[in-house]
Amino acid sequence: MKHSWLRSSMFAAAVALAAVATVRAADPPRMPDGKPDFSGIYTQPATVNATGPRGNLIFNADKMAPLKPGAESLLYEARNGDPRHDEPRAMCLPAGFPDGMLYILPIQIVQNAKTIVIIPELQRAARIIPTDGRPHREGLEPTYYGDSVGRWEGDTLVIDSVNFKRWILDDYHYTDPTKTRWHSDALHTTERLKRDGDKLLYQITIDDPKIFTKPFSQDFVLTLRTDWEQLGLLEYVCEENNRCAGGHCRAPDAK
Amino acid sequence: MTRSLLAMIMLTAVTVPSFAHHSETAEFNPDTPVKITGTIVRVEWLNPHVWFYVDVKDDKSNVTTWGFEGAPPGNLMRRGITKDVLKIGSVVNVTGVRARDGSNNASSRSVTFADGRNVFTSATEPAK
Repeated sequence: MKHSWLRSSMFAAAVALAAVATVRAADPPRMPDGKPDFSGIYTQPATVNATGPRGNLIFNADKMAPLKPGAESLLYEARNGDPRHDEPRAMCLPAGFPDGMLYILPIQIVQNAKTIVIIPELQRAARIIPTDGRPHREGLEPTYYGDSVGRWEGDTLVIDSVNFKRWILDDYHYTDPTKTRWHSDALHTTERLKRDGDKLLYQITIDDPKIFTKPFSQDFVLTLRTDWEQLGLLEYVCEENNRCAGGHCRAPDAK
Repeated sequence: MTRSLLAMIMLTAVTVPSFAHHSETAEFNPDTPVKITGTIVRVEWLNPHVWFYVDVKDDKSNVTTWGFEGAPPGNLMRRGITKDVLKIGSVVNVTGVRARDGSNNASSRSVTFADGRNVFTSATEPAK
């Protein structure tokens, strides 16, 4: 009888400890101000439940919101033979956002109490995002990466971006030799980032009222790679050795 | 004829996509696979893509230099493929797809060394 009570007590204690351990495992590391610490180097984003070719790194067309009447030509543009239009990044032009976030190279996040900096290794185009409550800047010309401000909703970082110039939306053109996919200058994005262990849950909401009837979201996941910390992000100067720009290769010169 | 040193344009399909900073199909033609054997003579471990050059001798000892594009250096290094892997002087068999402009350039897929070692030099390997 006594042993039975003891066994029950030990079992209950073990369950309680396991529950505490589970909670602690899910609880993210924190900054001195108590906010979750997102600092680190992560793998490229990968779409959750991707569909379609290269679906893990582009927006899945079947998950997009319906198009506005006549907006098909705003979303898709035929290639016109000019590589600066057809594949700007192949000419070392900016990837922009969100395209620059969705690539095969890692992403580093640097954080302090007032700022989050997201640095894709691709083109090393750092997005410096204030989290101190300031509003969007006004009076700026539209840009490739837009103007971003962040705020915390509990343990979720929410990044709001506006003021984009019309540019390629993603790498859709990798999957279609005839067309490219674009966003308009009315693009407004909302990113939601939350840590779950060594995963960074990352959602982008695309609100582009010149093209879509309503906003739509796509979920991605990034994986923290502490084993990449020592190597760190590498330099990425596209112009250094872009030998086949626009489909015109320099002759091999091994001398 | 020294077949092992003969450049061959193979008619077999090469279907592994290479996710470069540009669309593969705009600069390289997946319908013109290349498979050559030769000697590595130069390596450019630079962005946006690694390039390496392979001298190929034909049966009359004429030498043709082929240039091969690889993945970005960071992508290869995080997969454990460093510049030291592509040693100058190594005899290699390289597969890839040829440049659309008809030059002796190609986007590489894999490099096989004389001892049988093989590395994927494109940006993506078969899914794990």
